[in-house]
Amino acid sequence: MPIQINTSVKGKEYPPYRVSVERGKIKEFARAIGDLSPMYLDDTVAKAGPWGDIIAPPTFPITFRDEGADTGALLRDLGVDIGRILHGEQEFEHFKPVRPGQTYLCRGRIVDIYEKAGKSGPMAFVVRETTVTDSDNDIVALMRQTTVVRL
Amino acid sequence: MKYAKVYAEDVQVGSEMPPLVKPPIQQIQLTRYAGASGDFNPIHQDAAFAKAAGMGDVFAHGMLSMGFVAQSVTDWFGAGTVRRLGVRFAALVRLGDVVTCRGKVVAKRPGKDGDGPYLVDLELWAENQKGEKVITGKATAALISRG
Repeated sequence: MPIQINTSVKGKEYPPYRVSVERGKIKEFARAIGDLSPMYLDDTVAKAGPWGDIIAPPTFPITFRDEGADTGALLRDLGVDIGRILHGEQEFEHFKPVRPGQTYLCRGRIVDIYEKAGKSGPMAFVVRETTVTDSDNDIVALMRQTTVVRL
Repeated sequence: MKYAKVYAEDVQVGSEMPPLVKPPIQQIQLTRYAGASGDFNPIHQDAAFAKAAGMGDVFAHGMLSMGFVAQSVTDWFGAGTVRRLGVRFAALVRLGDVVTCRGKVVAKRPGKDGDGPYLVDLELWAENQKGEKVITGKATAALISRG
């Protein structure tokens, strides 16, 4: 029997949270991917570059999560087990570089939930959007994440 | 200091991205990526958990492969050039898989107001050693003019 997910969380906005970007976390992230660009890793080379410092790789904002919140909040809201989820799609829009030492404000909400028949059975798609703004209130990045739930 | 790896004049519609071939996926990289990203879903670490969840064995975080795809663009165009990157995770990447990222330019247009950097649209994909697509996607990068 397929499981039921709680579709009533569509439209739900999560409490905004702040994230401070640490220099070492940018480097750790780039190294984990195996991307050794000096613009992510080398303070001296990056200092002479266009931003005057290292910047974060394009997918780094995926690390921006609400450390103060229960990590299982979304899954609990949906009523699904972590073993049932897959990452379906991911999109980033970048407006300003993400820099070390900056604090960003993140606002996330569930923009859509829909169900579809997949190759291996019924699936639900949960689309979350997170906007990232800086201390000037400029939008820095927008993330759109589609999680697939195997029902 | 002017910094650019590739200028707008250097690419045209149809230009192919130099393929980025990543080393075979190892468990240690998945563990390292979990720590770096904060995604500790046991499905990427614990074979027994992955098996019980019906996935056969552990598999790579989709975001690790997306990181490879992002790297393929920035290796070509330079860090900080990506304005938009969107992917669909088409197949699971397993331990031992060799991921190769490929892409090509599908459009090139002047930036807003005609004086900003050129915007270059890319079609992107990543494939495993069997030639199966594991990611399909699109990106837009901003390239400055040589002039």
